[in-house]
Amino acid sequence: MRDITLQPMPVLADGGRHEGQLILADGQLVAVFTWVTSEETAGGDERAGGWFLEAGFGPCSSLISATPPVLATLNDAVSWVRDRLDHGLTP
Amino acid sequence: MTNPLILKLEQRDSLSDAEKRALENAIARIRIVEADEDIVREGDRPNESCLLLDGFAARYKIVSNGRRQISALQIAGDFIDLHSFLLKTMDHGVLALTTCRIATVPHATLEKITAEFPHLTRMLWLDTLIDGAIHREWLTAMGRLSATAHMAQLICELFLRLKAVGRIEGDTIYLPITQAELGDTLGLSTVHVNRVLQELRKEGMIRFQGDALTILDWERLKSVGEFNHTYLSLQNEDR
Repeated sequence: MRDITLQPMPVLADGGRHEGQLILADGQLVAVFTWVTSEETAGGDERAGGWFLEAGFGPCSSLISATPPVLATLNDAVSWVRDRLDHGLTP
Repeated sequence: MTNPLILKLEQRDSLSDAEKRALENAIARIRIVEADEDIVREGDRPNESCLLLDGFAARYKIVSNGRRQISALQIAGDFIDLHSFLLKTMDHGVLALTTCRIATVPHATLEKITAEFPHLTRMLWLDTLIDGAIHREWLTAMGRLSATAHMAQLICELFLRLKAVGRIEGDTIYLPITQAELGDTLGLSTVHVNRVLQELRKEGMIRFQGDALTILDWERLKSVGEFNHTYLSLQNEDR
């Protein structure tokens, strides 16, 4: 099982400063999640705030996941990353 | 009220009274399709084509992971599946985004129009050519424009298309489309749709209030969206 670590990092995303988390797998950056408010997800299926995949790399990249998810908790975000890593390059 | 297809075509060239009558008489029946229902499904082999009189509809395809891509937004006056007259089998579906009032035109009637009205036939041909031009513009925007520019371009385009069929109020269009549907149209997440709309709003280019979207700075919006209306062939000339 890969070693997943989190590192808090503010992100200047569209709309200004967002609380963010870098997610590393075995010391390599695989995803950047930012906290988005319910206002930012308004109109979507989610209708709540959450951790949004701001950027992803390799198996977590946007080419693989056509629509970046918004996940309720950081644990969910880590599970999502693990799932992507397990699936490799198949969507 | 004038059939919006006639308004749309007359923007591009004059129609004779006989041609207008032929279009009015081509309508076999009126159908109401509720929001989120299919007007026509991928794989269908319709024997009539649907002309949208009121409402918004979307051409779409679903890919294997269940994600939907909307490849065109259809408004009043659009001959949604005129294509099926010749393509026979639908290669995509068309979904009602709002309640849609639709006039159905039997393919047999279209065949008669092509036999008896060469100029009107060219105008219907033009209509599908404009659909193709819009697809080219969308493809270019999808591949090469920023999300903000892409959204700006879409708003400019919808404004002019709605204006051509008399469906604007001053600088305001009524756009009852959810942000999720806009995301499926622009290939963006809902979060990004929200961010780019907020950006256009903060920059003073648009204002939205419920479903009403008002354009506050047309020139700036046009410039951000790299919008050039040539592809909509809006000028009236002999065709």
